[in-house]
Amino acid sequence: MLLVLALPAVLAACGGSDDVDARLAIVAPDNNIRAEGDECAGARPFRAIHRGTAFTVEDGSGEVVAEGELPTGRATNADAGIDWESDRFPTVCVFDVEVGLPERARYRVVLPDAVPLEFDAVLLASDDPVELILSG
Amino acid sequence: MRRCFVLFAVLLLAACGGNDEVAGGADDLPGPVPTGVEFAKPPASALPAPDFTAELVDGTAIRGSELWRERPVLLVFTASYCDRCREIHKAAAAAVDERDGAVALVGMLGEDEAATGAEYATELDLGHPVAVADERVWLNYAAREPGLVVLVAPGGEVVRGWPAGASGAAIGAALDELIES
Repeated sequence: MLLVLALPAVLAACGGSDDVDARLAIVAPDNNIRAEGDECAGARPFRAIHRGTAFTVEDGSGEVVAEGELPTGRATNADAGIDWESDRFPTVCVFDVEVGLPERARYRVVLPDAVPLEFDAVLLASDDPVELILSG
Repeated sequence: MRRCFVLFAVLLLAACGGNDEVAGGADDLPGPVPTGVEFAKPPASALPAPDFTAELVDGTAIRGSELWRERPVLLVFTASYCDRCREIHKAAAAAVDERDGAVALVGMLGEDEAATGAEYATELDLGHPVAVADERVWLNYAAREPGLVVLVAPGGEVVRGWPAGASGAAIGAALDELIES
């Protein structure tokens, strides 16, 4: 009896078998001068993008299928093709997000003061995180 | 019964508002510059500091030019979501404390932190004022991201800025160049 009662709760907590573990790299392309790997938050005009910023993920119909908060960002070389000849150089601020998503064809990440970031589910099959670049 | 109610009300008021002191508020503004302290002139290349007004976390209005009229002022542009900035702010406070009231320190939060600023100030409880400054102030100081530290000389000239923050030793060395005695 107890098992029957507990089972739905366990399944709900696990998110169901359809969930995809999505790895997203949300990029604030602020070109701010930092050292590679520094802790960062979005610089102007991405000041609203920082640790703790709430986000939602919607499916193609606009239904919210996941939500969360951004972790601390990490500074990443804005243009790896350039030898900056300095320890500090233009960087972007990358937020690594892991979120469980139900299987859908398309998703949309919604953050404050930013154009929503859309991507196809097919990108989730890659070993690399899905890179989503913010625009102001 | 009535007496009991009055007693309860008095106890409630005492518990809720007996202490007006707010971390980062007016009580943390610096007192007079200690006697005998003199300051060096800033380098000729120093640029005028943009004057600003802001509100401390307890609602007290401050003006930059009043703060730096008689002493150097260290501005730390910070944010509650920035762990690195907390460390920078603490290091700056320690460097200022070592100079026994000769220097003022103001933490500068962004306007989006009006609601959370008091919490940040209470958590750090550095004994120095914490202000919420609007976006224009951040822009005027080219503070694109929290972590910037700016040293303003007495009279209002920017001696230097550290866009990514600075260690206590670096800040202390810059302050000592301004303090002659």
